[in-house]
Amino acid sequence: MRVNVLARAPRALVLACTLAILGAAGTSAPGVTAKEYTIAIEDMRFVPATLTVRRGDRVTWINRDLVPHTATATAKTFDSSSIAPGGTWTYVATEPGTQAYACAFHPTMKGEVSIR
Amino acid sequence: MNFKQAASTLVLSMAVTVFAAQAEGPTDPQIAAIVVTANQVDIDAGKLATSKAQSKEVAAFAERMVVDHEGVNKAASELVTRLQVTPEPNATSQNLQQGGDENLAKLQQLDGHAFDRAYVEHEVAYHEAVLDAIDETLIPSAQNAELKALLVKVRPAFVAHLEHARQLRASLDQVGRLGQE
Repeated sequence: MRVNVLARAPRALVLACTLAILGAAGTSAPGVTAKEYTIAIEDMRFVPATLTVRRGDRVTWINRDLVPHTATATAKTFDSSSIAPGGTWTYVATEPGTQAYACAFHPTMKGEVSIR
Repeated sequence: MNFKQAASTLVLSMAVTVFAAQAEGPTDPQIAAIVVTANQVDIDAGKLATSKAQSKEVAAFAERMVVDHEGVNKAASELVTRLQVTPEPNATSQNLQQGGDENLAKLQQLDGHAFDRAYVEHEVAYHEAVLDAIDETLIPSAQNAELKALLVKVRPAFVAHLEHARQLRASLDQVGRLGQE
């Protein structure tokens, strides 16, 4: 006779395992689908310069300039390193708060990602 | 700015604005030669500064000038190849080359803070002069739409470089003042 293990497991244990898996993956809260956002790097600017996302969302920078750039958080919470012309870099938003960032190569280029 | 720097800036400005005084602007092959030469002289100065700069910020800026201007020249070379335009040397491109050579000769004789100061001062003047040329001569004169679009696309990089160079100059001025105290 086959036994349905899940049916017999205490509900609290199943819930704890589910939450642990979600937490380890750093994804959105249960029931909230992670969204994808794109920030264009063009004409030596981040477009949009400010962006608000939820924890677990994915933010992709795409370099449309002819020169390399970076997206480097002032607090060092994220750093793309060099993004070649035509290249992309994706950050999964995990650190709540407002993250100011700049291009490490071109200090006049600044942006901000707010993570709720 | 001392006399030598002022003279150097004047030569540079004359080099890139010579066409402004003429009835007709440069042709597309001449613009191609001006763009390639303008980038190349800054690459050459950047390579020298990468090895000679005292300040790590100046060295990092110089490295950026090499990378960025090589990127612009790569795009320009690919475009003129595709368009089958052969860059045509002209008075402006030759003056730019001469100004670049004179700048290198001057920088070779300097060291330490004096080198950093002279290199950055020239970078400010160079980017100001090239931006003027882009706005007043090169973009208005370009006939091919793709060549014009390339000039429009590279312009923001020159603006960002100019602002970066001005910030560096201000910080070097501060270091110079502190050194005198």
